[in-house]
Amino acid sequence: MSGLQASQSTARELLNPEVLSHLKNLDLVARSVVEGFLIGLHRSPRFGFSQEFAEYRSYAEGDDPRFIDWNVYARSDRMVVKRFLGDTNSHLMLLLDASASMGFGGPPVSKLRYGQFLAASLAFLASRQPDAVGCMVFDEEVRDYRAPSSRSGKLQSILHCIDSAEARTGTKFDKPFDKFREQVTRRGLVAVISDFYCDIDKLLDGVRPLAWQGQDVVLFQVLDTQELNPDFKSNVLLEDLETGEAVEVAPQFMRDAYPQRMRAHIDSLSKAAAGIGADHVLVKTSDSLDQALRNYLLFRQRRS
Amino acid sequence: MSFLAPMFLLGIAVIAFPFWLHRLQTQSSDRKPFSSAMLLETTEQQIHVRKKLKYLLLLALRVALLLLLALVFAKPLWTDPDTLPVPTPEGTHLIMIDTSASMSRSGVFDQAVAQARRAIEAAPGGALLQLLSADSGLHIESELTADRSTANASLAAIRPGALRLDYGDAVAAVNRLTESLPPPVTLHFISDFQDSGMPVRFADLVSSAVATLVPYVVGSGEPFNWTIETVRETAGGVDVSVFGFGQFERAATVELSLNGEAVGEHGIISGGQTIAQFDVLQTQEGDNRLEVRLDADDDLHVDNQRFYVLENVPPAPIPLITLNRDGLPVTYLSAALQSDRNNAYRVEPMVIGEFDSRTLSRYPWVVVDDIGTVSVELETALADYIRNGGNLLAFAGMRTATSTRIPVSGNSIRPASVGAVANRFLSIGQIDTGHPVLSATEGWYSVNVSQSIPIDAHNDDQILIRLENDEPFLIERKLGLGRLLLVAGGLDNQWNDLPIRPVFVGFIIEAARYLSGADRLSKAFTAGATLPLSMTGGTSGQVIDPDGNNVLSLADTTRAQQIKLNKPGFYEVYTAQGNYVVAVNTDSRESQLQAVSEETLHRWVAAMGGQTDGAALSPFEIEAEPIELWHVLLFILALVLVAESLLGNAYLTPRTTN
Repeated sequence: MSGLQASQSTARELLNPEVLSHLKNLDLVARSVVEGFLIGLHRSPRFGFSQEFAEYRSYAEGDDPRFIDWNVYARSDRMVVKRFLGDTNSHLMLLLDASASMGFGGPPVSKLRYGQFLAASLAFLASRQPDAVGCMVFDEEVRDYRAPSSRSGKLQSILHCIDSAEARTGTKFDKPFDKFREQVTRRGLVAVISDFYCDIDKLLDGVRPLAWQGQDVVLFQVLDTQELNPDFKSNVLLEDLETGEAVEVAPQFMRDAYPQRMRAHIDSLSKAAAGIGADHVLVKTSDSLDQALRNYLLFRQRRS
Repeated sequence: MSFLAPMFLLGIAVIAFPFWLHRLQTQSSDRKPFSSAMLLETTEQQIHVRKKLKYLLLLALRVALLLLLALVFAKPLWTDPDTLPVPTPEGTHLIMIDTSASMSRSGVFDQAVAQARRAIEAAPGGALLQLLSADSGLHIESELTADRSTANASLAAIRPGALRLDYGDAVAAVNRLTESLPPPVTLHFISDFQDSGMPVRFADLVSSAVATLVPYVVGSGEPFNWTIETVRETAGGVDVSVFGFGQFERAATVELSLNGEAVGEHGIISGGQTIAQFDVLQTQEGDNRLEVRLDADDDLHVDNQRFYVLENVPPAPIPLITLNRDGLPVTYLSAALQSDRNNAYRVEPMVIGEFDSRTLSRYPWVVVDDIGTVSVELETALADYIRNGGNLLAFAGMRTATSTRIPVSGNSIRPASVGAVANRFLSIGQIDTGHPVLSATEGWYSVNVSQSIPIDAHNDDQILIRLENDEPFLIERKLGLGRLLLVAGGLDNQWNDLPIRPVFVGFIIEAARYLSGADRLSKAFTAGATLPLSMTGGTSGQVIDPDGNNVLSLADTTRAQQIKLNKPGFYEVYTAQGNYVVAVNTDSRESQLQAVSEETLHRWVAAMGGQTDGAALSPFEIEAEPIELWHVLLFILALVLVAESLLGNAYLTPRTTN
């Protein structure tokens, strides 16, 4: 009993961003997070990861050939793949914001680095289903893109895509969403990881077509503690990382008015997401990653 | 200590330090990157400005602190030329502007007017103001009033002229004016204070009626000026003396014109004195107008021209009524008159029996070598001649000694001569050197008199020379409009050696000038002088100024007039006795632009107002008892230091508590 508790305690520490920040290899980070998460997860019928057979479905391009039932093919000359319980989502698409504002935060980790941890963990977790996982890194333009795939070797490619993201320039959601709609037609889960410093109406203009397309969208809003509760002793000249605009603010404003504005912005984003059937999850860079993974599984279950 | 001293400049440079310090703080201390400015709002402007102002005030205090520190060590002295002394609220303020020729320098008179306007504005409210201008006389430009606008309005009409200002005369005129003004009287004197305008006696500058003298010096600096000093006739032509004041090397050209026609020019290169010589001039008979102009780029232009009357008159005949046409008196008198540079007269010997007394009126003056020889008819004619304006030079020779009275004058003659009785020579005992005939002659005391006519002087007689025994030797008698000069001795070198003494030549020339009235009709005047028409030989006439305007009204032409010659140029004088041209020039002393020394000005102010210790002298542009300011600055420095400490502490407090 004590050995199990010790094991769980060590696994939980692996979900701490401060601990993860010391790991340079994103693959290792993702593996550590998911393993830690799974160890602490109680087995539940709702969240089961069984290999029990559920049904057959026709083979489609992109499906892992390992799951083709060769016996059926031999008997009926049709290529089908076996589906198991809990294996209802076909793919997960990760959209990671790599704009300059994501470079803010820390220590221990910036918002972008935290987003990379999150995206990698989600990709790793999804690949264990096995779901097809794709990713897109964007700022004002689409910087990198990996099409969804459930092949085991594809995970390394996706992790590399996520790991190579660097914070720069501004943020525009219209181009990555347009690109996404052009490339992905199948229904699936779309996880957008960003700080969402944008006009919410314009964001919804990009997200709304995805919802109409039947995609399940979850907005992971990553924020740093300094953004939620800034602490300044005197007047300070704050320079916008994306636009370069400098604004001199008083400590009274940052202490009183600014948190209210931030809260209002978060609430607006949450309400707007709910309005189009998307979910909004606020994650702080100081939080452990299990909450994000738990939310992912909740969505996956709702999808199934 | 000068403000250009290296140590002072180094001290001033230290003020760059607080500037650098404040710049460093504002640029580097509070600038931070932030994820997005989308939800931020600039701090309210009011708070922002207040903080900036607080910084700037602190910066200003720190700069002032360092500046004051440097100034304290520099020990500055304060002399403000624009600051007026604080006058008493009551009393009279006289604003007197120098309008002499030297004030026409470019820009100088504008400075004077501006200074006068400041003096008017600075006068206390209840004081009476009067605007004056001064050149060769004192002119009242505005009435005595407390209304400043009146004085200001009169100011616009004042312009500099061509006359000379003597500061002693100006003070005397102000003295007379101030007798009737409410005391105390403050005299604001605005001038270039030429050294050449100072009187001979310093006491003439002092006025007991003026309580305070406030001088304003205008036109300072190193002036340079060309001027035509003199025009002199020579045997070969005309010499023009040109003088350049100041250190400069500028070319100028002397241009000569005669009766309006250019007759020559002469180039001049350097300053100092230069004589420009012009050749023989073809003159007309009578008065010729010679005009010299100087084409030069100098400070003062009014003295760049000079006018001169060139006379071309043949020698006038003077009758010498004598017994012997070839006698010594003719020789002596002719030699003396021929020695005159002007060669104005020639002797015309007339034997007394042949002389027609009706011709006397043709001559301006007549000589009789022995008054005792004249007949009764001639005596009567001579007396009438003198009473009608004629003049007689008479010698009392041996023939006169036999008479008991002097013909024409009627003086009694005593029987004996003292010199003869004592068998020795007499010398001249007393001379009236103030008389025009004798003022320019020297050597009378070398004259030996062996015999003289002992004349009893009449009450109307003016005895010009007495012998050492107190007997009259030269007597002047006025008869009617004319004069008689009577010498108690002969012209034949028998009773005295006067005719062979050098003094005789000078005496005859001066006597001729005096008796003919030539000395009363000068052809050259300085601007501001007075021309008495009566001296030209008449009591009425007309004068036309250089601009061609009649000086006298029609009614005035019949009265004796004193004509003021204010304009440089040629004046035409028309009288019943003849027509003349006189030349009027700017006084050459106005060309000397050098100002009086500071010490003299201080002495003057001290003598006038009795204040030599500071405030009253401050209006001097050159120096006015400078006041040391270091102790005042030290006090201000202490105040600034306290303020800076308090403000700096107040500024630091919220930063540490936050």
